[in-house]
Amino acid sequence: MRSPLASRALLMLLVALIVLVYGFPYAFLVSTSLKSPQAALAIPPTLLPQQLSIENYANIGEHPSVQRSFGNSIIIALLSTVITIALAVPAAYAVARYATWAGKTFLFVVLITRLIPPVAVGIPLFVIMRALGLIDTHLGVALAHSTISVPLGIWLLASFMEGIPRELEEAARVDGCSRFGALLRIIIPVASGGIAVTAIFVFLASWNEFLFSLLLSSTGVKTAPIAIAEFKTQYGIQWGTMTSLAVLFSLPVIIFSLLMQKRIIAGLTVGAVKG
Amino acid sequence: MKRICLVLAILVLLSLSLVAGAQDPVTLTVLVEQGGVWLQEAAAAQFEEETGHTVEFVNVPYGSVFDRLSAEMATGGSAFDVATIDVVWMSHFAPFAEPLDDLFTDEVVDDLFASLVADAQIDGTFIGMPTWANTEIIFYRKDMWEDADEMAAFEAEYGYPLAPPTTWDEFTDMAQFFTRDNDGDGEIDMYGTDVKGGVADFEWMIAVLQAGSPGVVLDADNNIIIDNDAHVAGLEYYISHHCDMDVAPPNVNEVDWGVAENLFYQSQTAMFRFWGHAYRLTRGDSPIADLVGAAPMIAGPGGIGAIPGPWFNIVPKTSQNKEEALQLVQYLYDHNAMGIEAPLGLAARKSAYAQYADVEGFENLNPLLETLDSPQTIGRPAVADWQQIADEILGPIGSDALTCEHDVAELLAWGRAELEAMGYE
Repeated sequence: MRSPLASRALLMLLVALIVLVYGFPYAFLVSTSLKSPQAALAIPPTLLPQQLSIENYANIGEHPSVQRSFGNSIIIALLSTVITIALAVPAAYAVARYATWAGKTFLFVVLITRLIPPVAVGIPLFVIMRALGLIDTHLGVALAHSTISVPLGIWLLASFMEGIPRELEEAARVDGCSRFGALLRIIIPVASGGIAVTAIFVFLASWNEFLFSLLLSSTGVKTAPIAIAEFKTQYGIQWGTMTSLAVLFSLPVIIFSLLMQKRIIAGLTVGAVKG
Repeated sequence: MKRICLVLAILVLLSLSLVAGAQDPVTLTVLVEQGGVWLQEAAAAQFEEETGHTVEFVNVPYGSVFDRLSAEMATGGSAFDVATIDVVWMSHFAPFAEPLDDLFTDEVVDDLFASLVADAQIDGTFIGMPTWANTEIIFYRKDMWEDADEMAAFEAEYGYPLAPPTTWDEFTDMAQFFTRDNDGDGEIDMYGTDVKGGVADFEWMIAVLQAGSPGVVLDADNNIIIDNDAHVAGLEYYISHHCDMDVAPPNVNEVDWGVAENLFYQSQTAMFRFWGHAYRLTRGDSPIADLVGAAPMIAGPGGIGAIPGPWFNIVPKTSQNKEEALQLVQYLYDHNAMGIEAPLGLAARKSAYAQYADVEGFENLNPLLETLDSPQTIGRPAVADWQQIADEILGPIGSDALTCEHDVAELLAWGRAELEAMGYE
């Protein structure tokens, strides 16, 4: 029989292995960004920089459009998150509360939209946005991102809301609250953990999205993933610049996720245990 | 008095008509990738000053130029007045591009390389104005080629003086000569050259032209020639440095252009065939920064041959500022030499290259000129499904050939069968 200490050690080893597998690409990214541009291209590549260099980071100042693109990414991701949550919360509430045939069909149809490759809807979206005069606008790109995020949001939130006791809402109704008032005053606060988790996922989806941002932006609202990809040209890849930008691009999300860690875990476990 | 009034009225009318005829300043949107910005921004800025128009570059990653313009074409509209596109996309965008025949005067045609003039046309109509042309040339280590001991040793072994290679045989001799185990540990420390199996869909085509083929894969009438003698000879030469002699790093499938460039600039290969722009981009902190020499591409039995990689400015038919867009395209051609001062240091006009060819720091331009001007420097066939041919036929042929286990003629026969299945004859 294995002792608890041995089991724990084995578990820790397994965790360390998983962390290593997941963390290595990012660690290598950070390491490459701290190499000189020449060292970044060494064959065979070195794991750690032989000499720390911040040249790649210092060079970012030479690309003002890249700096603007970070601002655009933040605006678009926030806008997309707000739109998605605003649409997904009532939709998820309706589906969760009225477990009707139509609601289940709706959930299924919503899931189907997630199965369509984004490239297939790229051109129709482009036509719609152009007709609406939303090409190269923050709102246009954010709306396009919401087409991906709303189905995800509805599915996530519906599962959270199913876990909220119906009695809570009924008590509010007895106290004179309207259905919409109960949603605002009771359901949303109770589901705030789930909404936070959904918002984070939606934000991340928009933050990293490439295709729609490419099709719907020109110079005005170019997002960071596109600006970073521009350093892969026909004549080579500027690894140093790309990796330093990728590190900077990932930092806000990492910091945000660390700050929200408890809330995310709490949100993910909402509804996991049913009484 | 009446006469004065009449004259004044006529003058007013004339001046009004002149004002009405003058162009209002417009913003011209140009779709490009980074190279297009570098090479055209100086001329575009000058165009802005002279005309009052504004030129706005929409810079996207390389492959996204195709995606973005395809989306515009599919929707029948365009946010772009000019697009700078790779030659391999010309056929695809031909229905979407405004004819530019009026811009191609005899003088213009004379100042462009023949392959560019051919590539600029689809079905006899000029649709793109070349803006720069690149091609592979030879890069070598000057310090090694000019070393007295190396020169003596080479001549003693091969019977002719050591100089940048000009033929297939010389290239092979020098690749063998410089492949070395410097520290005697049984491992090769420097290879004579490389074999770029990572871009096998392209690299062996160059040897095909050097072998004397009238084109690659298809002839001028789009008839299949993939199994002609020159294709066989070219493919055999391409793989020989890997299969018959160990003069290139053995992991050929991992060697694409980026890796090949790094191998050379980190002193792991003595010479290599590479795009001419790299000479100007040599990094100051490279261990061989001041030691790089450039020479024209080598010649096979058919002479010097290479595949050009030109980019063209096209004017989408849907542009709302067509007249000004054509004006910009013409201006960029007229001031084509300004691109040579840019980081990539490339242009499309012979006169532009000639203007800088003897300037210090531009030693790659004479080799580029000579290679681009060679009759065996021929573009890829202008067929809309070229990328499919490259991906599904040429790449597999190159990769299979580099396993050294296949008969080259059989591989090319398979290529013919595949092309026939695609509808070619």
